[in-house]
Amino acid sequence: MNIQKIVTIPEIATIDEIKEEIQDVKTFYLSFDNKEVDKTFKFKSGQFIMCTVFGSGEFAVSLPPSPEDDRFHITVKTVGKVTGALHSLQAGDKLGVRGPFGNGFPFEDIKGKNVVYVAGGIGLIPLRSSIVNVLQHREDFGRIILMYGSRSPDDLMYSYNLEEWQNIDGFETFITVDNPTPDWKGHTGIITTLFDKMELPVDDTVAFVCGPPIMFNAVIKEMMDRGISDEHIISTLERHMKCGVGKCQHCGIGRTLVCTDGPVYTYRQIKTLGEQI
Amino acid sequence: MDYKPGICTFCGTGCGHFLKVSQSGVDGVFPSRNHPVSRGRLCVRGWNIHELLSTTDRNTTPMVKKSGTFQPVTYEEAITEAVNSLKKFLPGETAFLASPRSSNEENYLFMKMARSVFGTNNISTDTESGHRNSLDVLNEGTGFPGMTGSIGDIQKSEVLLVAGMDITRQNPIIGSELHMASMNGATLVTLDSRTTQIARLSDTFYRINPGSMKVLFNALASAMVANNLYDKSFVEKNTENYNEFIESIQAVDIESGAKKSGLTVEELTRLAELLTKSKSAMSFFTSGISGLDRDTIGSIYNVFLLAGKIGKEGCGVNPIAGINNLQGSFDTGCAPDLLTGFQSLADQKVRTKFESAWQQALPADGGFDFDTMMKNGSVKALVVTDHDDGIIKYRDSLDSVEYIVYIGAFRNDFQDYAHVVLPITSYIETDGTYTNTERRVQLSSKKMDGDANVMPGWKLLQTIANKAGANWNYTSPSDVMNEISQLTPTYSGITYDRLSTSFGLQWPCNTSKPDGTIRYSLESAPRKPLFVKISMDTDIPSVTDKFPYLLMMGKAQHYWHQNNLMHKTHIPLREYNATLLLYPDGYVEIHPDDAKKLGVRDRWSVRVVSAGGDMEIMAKVSDEVAPGRAYIPYFIRDMITAFLSKHIDAVEKGEDATIPVRIEKV
Amino acid sequence: MYIIKKNDILNLAKELAKDHTMYGPVVEDSTGQAFFDRVDNIDDIDMAAPIPTLPPKHVLFPHMETIMQYRYDADQKKAEITGVFDESRKALFGLRPCDLEGILCMDRFFLGQEFVDDWYREHRSRMFIVTNTCIAPFKQCFCVCTDSGPDAKEGYDINLTDIGQYYLVETGSKKGEDLAKAMNLDKAAEEHSREKTVRVEKSITLFEDIAVENKAWISRVMNRVTTGFIDEAVWEFIGDQCFECGACTYVCPSCTCFNVVDINRKDGESLRLRTWDSCSYEGYSRMAGGHNPRKPVEDRRNKRFFCKLSYSQSKKYLRPGCVGCGRCAWVCPGDIGLPNVVTYIRREISK
Repeated sequence: MNIQKIVTIPEIATIDEIKEEIQDVKTFYLSFDNKEVDKTFKFKSGQFIMCTVFGSGEFAVSLPPSPEDDRFHITVKTVGKVTGALHSLQAGDKLGVRGPFGNGFPFEDIKGKNVVYVAGGIGLIPLRSSIVNVLQHREDFGRIILMYGSRSPDDLMYSYNLEEWQNIDGFETFITVDNPTPDWKGHTGIITTLFDKMELPVDDTVAFVCGPPIMFNAVIKEMMDRGISDEHIISTLERHMKCGVGKCQHCGIGRTLVCTDGPVYTYRQIKTLGEQI
Repeated sequence: MDYKPGICTFCGTGCGHFLKVSQSGVDGVFPSRNHPVSRGRLCVRGWNIHELLSTTDRNTTPMVKKSGTFQPVTYEEAITEAVNSLKKFLPGETAFLASPRSSNEENYLFMKMARSVFGTNNISTDTESGHRNSLDVLNEGTGFPGMTGSIGDIQKSEVLLVAGMDITRQNPIIGSELHMASMNGATLVTLDSRTTQIARLSDTFYRINPGSMKVLFNALASAMVANNLYDKSFVEKNTENYNEFIESIQAVDIESGAKKSGLTVEELTRLAELLTKSKSAMSFFTSGISGLDRDTIGSIYNVFLLAGKIGKEGCGVNPIAGINNLQGSFDTGCAPDLLTGFQSLADQKVRTKFESAWQQALPADGGFDFDTMMKNGSVKALVVTDHDDGIIKYRDSLDSVEYIVYIGAFRNDFQDYAHVVLPITSYIETDGTYTNTERRVQLSSKKMDGDANVMPGWKLLQTIANKAGANWNYTSPSDVMNEISQLTPTYSGITYDRLSTSFGLQWPCNTSKPDGTIRYSLESAPRKPLFVKISMDTDIPSVTDKFPYLLMMGKAQHYWHQNNLMHKTHIPLREYNATLLLYPDGYVEIHPDDAKKLGVRDRWSVRVVSAGGDMEIMAKVSDEVAPGRAYIPYFIRDMITAFLSKHIDAVEKGEDATIPVRIEKV
Repeated sequence: MYIIKKNDILNLAKELAKDHTMYGPVVEDSTGQAFFDRVDNIDDIDMAAPIPTLPPKHVLFPHMETIMQYRYDADQKKAEITGVFDESRKALFGLRPCDLEGILCMDRFFLGQEFVDDWYREHRSRMFIVTNTCIAPFKQCFCVCTDSGPDAKEGYDINLTDIGQYYLVETGSKKGEDLAKAMNLDKAAEEHSREKTVRVEKSITLFEDIAVENKAWISRVMNRVTTGFIDEAVWEFIGDQCFECGACTYVCPSCTCFNVVDINRKDGESLRLRTWDSCSYEGYSRMAGGHNPRKPVEDRRNKRFFCKLSYSQSKKYLRPGCVGCGRCAWVCPGDIGLPNVVTYIRREISK
C-alpha cells in the first residue's frame, strides 16, 4: 500500500530519541507506529509536516532529513506554547503527524548545476535536507558550496554534520560567526563577509538561501551583484499555519498560499507575490 | 432555531446578540440587527464570546481548603464551614466585595446578605475611584445618578466631545456610533494626551498635556463666561446656583489655563463657540477603574451645563462604563453608603422602608469600601464574587485577611487565596438582568442547563443567607427583581415580563415613565440642575530636570484587570497576546524623537525611574504619544510591577494620572 | 419543470423533512430578525422572510465545530485519535441565490484546489438545496453588480420561483427530479416558464428603487486591486476606520478562514476545534516568535479586498469572491463594507 499523504487525521508516531542541539533547539527522532506507514512514508526535501503535540496543539515544521537513507527526525526551536510543550516530552512519548506538505526543493531540475547553500542560524535546518540529499548524489552536481553563519559558535546548528561536511572532498564549506569565543579558530564576521573569501560560481548555478530577513536581503544583494539571477535564487518561506493543506488561509501572501504553492519559492516569485514577506 | 437572542456581557455597552446553543453547548454567536444599541454590530470580544462560554476552565465543585490544598466537598459542607467561620468575625472586620460583572439579582442578594444577615455595611465593588465619581457628580448636579444622555441620541447630536477615552477600544460599538455620526455630519472632537483611533477619526483633535483635563475645562468655562459664549437664558432659567458658579469661574485665568493644557486661547474660544452655538452636544469620558477624578468630571459637567447641553435630546454628560454591570452594581446598592437606586443609607425614610421590607434592622455603623479597608488593614474576613486576581495592588496585603470565601463561575487566580470556593453557573445558565452604561436594564434569559451539580448565583446566596439565619424564599431571579423594583423608585416599573418583550428598559422606569426614560430631561426633573463645586486649582503635572518625562497610564485593547476572561478564549487571547508577546517584559510607549535621543529602538530594554522606584521594561516606539511623554497600559498583569504599586495614588487617579520619570537606555 | 400551488409549498419541505434535518428562513419572534436556521417545525419556515442576516454557510462551516478527538495517556504512552464528521443529511430550503453562490464558492474552495476538506465534504455531500428566486431585492442587495442573482443559475437541486398562484419548480439534479416525481408535481406549461422570466426581469428593474443602500461597480476596481496600483493613502484612510472586529469576514458567504485549537477536557480527552477566524485580526498572520508580516491594519484591509476582488482569487472560486449580499455593510462598526471600499477606490482612480 502506497501512502501518499496523511491529510486529515494524524498518524501516530513515537519519539525514539531526543538530542539537544543548541540553546532552545532539540532534534526529535521519530518513527510511525503503523509499520506500513513507516515503510512507505515518502517526502521531498523542502517539504514540511504538521506535528501534533497531544494536549497542546499542532504546528508546522520542516523536515531536515534527506528523503533517502536518513533517520527520520524534526529539529524544533521552542518559540511558543506548542513548541514549549514539545520540549517537555521524553523519548517514548507520542506525536501526531500529517503530511508531507508543500512543493519541496528542486532536485532533478538542478542536476548538473553548481549548488550554493547560504544559511544563517537555524536557517540551516530546512536546508539540511537538500544538502544531504545532494551530497548523496555528488556526481550529479557541479560545485557544491555551503556558506553558513551564526551569532556565535554556540549557535551553530548541526555541529556534528558540519564537522563531517568540512572533511568531504568536493564540498566547499565556509563557516563564520559574528561574535567569536576565545577558542574559536574559524572565520569571524557576518555572513556577507564570506563572499570575498571564495569564488562564487555564477553560471549554471542555483543558490538556496535561508535565514532571518536582514541576512536574507543582504545575501541576495551580494549574489545578484555578482551575477546570479533572481530565478536561480531559491528560498523557503515561513508563515503561521493551521491546516497545512490550503484551507485555513493563514499562510497566504498575496496570490499564493505558502503551504500548497510553497514553501519553496524563487526570489523572482517572491518579488511578485503581491505582498511583503 | 438554534440561535437564541441574548446580550453580551463583556463591556458596559450591552450589545444584543444571538447565541447558538446546541447539544454540545454554546458554539456560535451572531449580532442582533434590531437591537437599539448595537444595531447589528459586535466587537472582537463579542464575536468570540462563545469561546469564553464554552471554556472548560470553570469551577465545578465547592471546595474547602484543608491543610493548604483544596478538597472537593458538597455545598452543604462548604456553606456550613463558610458561615460558621464568618460568624467568628465582627461585622466591622468583614468585607463584602461584589462584582461589577454579576447580575443585578446576584448583587442585590449579595448586598442584602451583607447588611441584613451579616450585619455590615462594608459592601463595595472596588470601583470607588472610577464610576462612583461620575455618579456622585451627576447626582449632585442633577439628582440623576446615571448617564444623562443615551446611546441612541448620538445620531441626533451635532457635537460629540470625547474627553480622554480610547473609546473605540474600550467600548467599540459606542465608538462606532460616534464615527457614524461624524460621517453623517456631526462634529467629532477629541481631547487626549495620546493619539487614539477616535482621535484619528475626529474632525478636531487636540493632543493636550497629560493631567490637564480639569485645567482645560475650567479655563474653557471661564472663556465661555468672559466671551458671553454660554447659554445665558438656559442657565438663568434652569439652574439654581449659577451666580455663585460664574463668580468662582471668572477667577480662573483663561490664558494660563489654555497654555497649561496645550491649547491656544483661540482654540479654547472656538471650542466654547462650538459647544454653545450648536443645537446639541454630548460629552463622553471613561468611567470605572482608571476613570477621571471627581473634580475633572465636575469640570466637564459644569461646562456642559453652562452651554445648555444637558437635559435635552442629543445632549448630555455621559460617563461610559467599561464593565457590563458596573452601573447595575451601584443601582443594586453595592456601596457602603448607598442602598438601591442611589438611595442614601443616611436617609431615615429610606432605612425604614428597607428595614420593613427586609424585616430586619439595618446595621447602625457606617461601612467602608474595600479599598479603604485594605489600606487600613481592617479586613479580617472577606466574601468576594468574581474578581480578577488583578486586584493586584492588594496582592501583598491579602495575606493579612484571615478568611476568604470566593464565589464565581469561571476559575480565577484570586480564588487560590480563598479558604472556601463556591461555584455558580455562568450567566447563560440562569436568568439575570444587567444594566448597561445608558441605564438600560436588559434581561439575559437562561439559554441552557449548566452542570447539574452547580447552583445558580441567586440560589447559592439564598442558601448561604438561610444557613446564617435568614428566611429567604425566592423561587427565581424574577422574584428578586420584583423585590428590587418595589424598593427602588427608578426600577419600580421593571418586571421580567416587560423586559422579555423588549430590548430592555432604561431607568427611571415607573408609573409616570412606564416605557423607561431615554434621557435626563429638564421637564421631568424633580429639581433644577446645579453647578457642582469643584476645586479650581490649576496644578498640572510637571517635569523636572531629574525626571523629564511624564508617564501616563491607562487602558488599552482587550483589557479589564488582567483579563481573566480573555485567558479563557482563543482568538481574543491571541489578539491580546499579539502585542503582549512582542513585549514580554511589558512595554512603555515613547515618541520616535525620544527614542532617538535615548539611543534605543523598538523592543529594546529601558529603565524607567521615578521618585518612588524603578523598573526595567521594553520600549515601544510610537508616534501616538507626544515627545516628552510616555504611556504605559497599567492593566496588564505583567505591568503591575513593584514600580507602580509605589505610585498607588497615581494609579487611583486614573486616566488623567501621571508620574514624572526618567527613562534610560539599559 | 414543474409547478406547485403557493399554499402547498411547505409540503415540499415536509417531504424533505422525512429524512433531512431542515434549515430554512425564519424570523425570530422577539427581535424580528431574519435567520436561516434549523427548524423543528416546518411551518416556522417563512418563504417571504427578508434576506437572512446570517448566511447559511454556518450549516456547512459552523462557527465552532469539533473536528477531532483524541486521548493521550502520558503514563501508558498510548494515543487514540478519532475524526469527528457530521454525516447527517441536511436540507437548505429557501436559500437565496446570492447565498447559493457563496456555497458554490466554498465548494470550489474546500473541495477543489489541491486537497479536499473532509469535514466540509461530509457536511455537503448529502445536502439538498432548494433555492428561492428573489422576485424583489432588499435594501442592502447588490447581486446584480456581482452576477449572483436575483435568480440562481446552477448548483441547486430545486429552484423555486414565485410566479403568482404557483411556484415554478425547476430541478437541477437527479435528486431534485426524484423529489418532484415523488411528490407527483404537475408539469409546468410554457406560460409558467415565461412568467418566471418576467418576474426576474422585474426584480432587476426594482433594484433602482429598492436596493438603495449599496452599489459596487466592481469591475472597474478588480483590475486595480489585482495589480495593487492603489495609493497607500486610500488603504490608510480605510484602515483608520477599521475596528478590527472580524464581522465582515464572519458574515461573508464566501469567507472561509478558520482557526484550529486543541482544548483539553477535564476527563482527559482533548478536542480539536475548528472556529471561524478573520484576516482582520492582527494575530491572524502573527508567527510564533513574533514576526508579523501583516501588522498594520491597512495591510489587512488590503488583503481582504484582494481576496474578494482580485483575479487570482476569483480563479479559485470561478467567479468574483463577492456575492453582493450586502451583509458586510450593515455589520461594520467603521462603515467600510465592501461597497464603500469600492467607492473609495473608484474615487481615487478617477482623481
